[in-house]
Amino acid sequence: MKDKNPLSPHIQIYNWHISSLVSISHRITGIINIIIVTLICFWVAYLLLGNSNYEIIQKFFQTYIGKFLIVGIVWSFSFQILSEIRHLFWDLGYGFELKTSNITGLLVIFGSLFLTIIILGKSLTL
Amino acid sequence: MVQISLPKNSKVEKGEYYKDKTGSKNIRKVNIYRWDPSNGKNPRIDTYEVDMDNCASKVLDLLNKIKNEIDSSIAYRRSCSHGVCGSCAMNMDGKNGLACTKPHAEIKGDINIYPLPHLRVEKDLIGDLSTLYKQYNSIEPWLKNSKKDDNKENLQSIEDRSKLDGLYECIMCACCSTSCPSYWWNGDKYLGPAVLLQAYRWIIDSRDEERKERLKKVADELKLYRCHTIMNCTNACPKGLNPAKAIASIKKMLATT
Repeated sequence: MKDKNPLSPHIQIYNWHISSLVSISHRITGIINIIIVTLICFWVAYLLLGNSNYEIIQKFFQTYIGKFLIVGIVWSFSFQILSEIRHLFWDLGYGFELKTSNITGLLVIFGSLFLTIIILGKSLTL
Repeated sequence: MVQISLPKNSKVEKGEYYKDKTGSKNIRKVNIYRWDPSNGKNPRIDTYEVDMDNCASKVLDLLNKIKNEIDSSIAYRRSCSHGVCGSCAMNMDGKNGLACTKPHAEIKGDINIYPLPHLRVEKDLIGDLSTLYKQYNSIEPWLKNSKKDDNKENLQSIEDRSKLDGLYECIMCACCSTSCPSYWWNGDKYLGPAVLLQAYRWIIDSRDEERKERLKKVADELKLYRCHTIMNCTNACPKGLNPAKAIASIKKMLATT
């Protein structure tokens, strides 16, 4: 149809629900994780160049921004893993009923927070 | 392509306000998307105060009341008013559905009514669905069978027939396709949930002889695999069907055969 006709509003007016929220978060955390894995690779390569580099990085992670980053990274990975498991079940053909997908969506959201707390708690006691 | 903001000529402006004239105490505000093709202006949101004491239960009744009693210029599609024809599909309270089956009592606060999302608007609540119909045509939605014996019934076992349950009920109202973000961004190439559910309906029919060709035709990065299980389709379907599951079934068939 001609461009003179307006496009009806879409994402501006459409309601969010659990599955669409988890879906967009899955994509965002996926992109974040790729960047993080790349950074970790650089970090490991940096360590080869001597322990002064290690100290710089360690100091960074002791700042508030660094600590926030660590929590964020752990959550991002937790979320991605749980959401990916949900996708695997979908690929097998299970869990498409509205009720089930809402429950699994909530499990992913709260499970990722729970997993973040457990992983960080565990690593603090080490 | 993902484009979050609306084009310039589609930006929605504030419209007129129709104050209640009946003096009723049970008033609800109804915000309706309006676009007049004749004057070259941008779309607007008109607000109507409606007397709810004398209004039947569904959103379509509300629209009819406005059209009959307040503003006859408003345009929308409707026909059966029993959830069978699929004409009155629109976006109500941020979710697609059929105006004739959606009770307005379910909506809290002001009632917002828009056309189906991401379509070219023809007038007011009427969107242009011709792309969707072309795509529907492309999957050849009819039985392909070489049997020439017209005097005999084409029998199906109870089990085979039951595979069509949850598929044949689709009325092609386009609520699901126009709720799908993937279809918003790639609607010209991605077939969308409604058409894919129909594609699956013919793929799984035991009487159809071209299952392989049908599968091959639909197995395409853009046509099929743009589905990312956002589940807006299943959430929107006014008939309670599950297009997301149908699409997953096609993917599974392709992966296992």
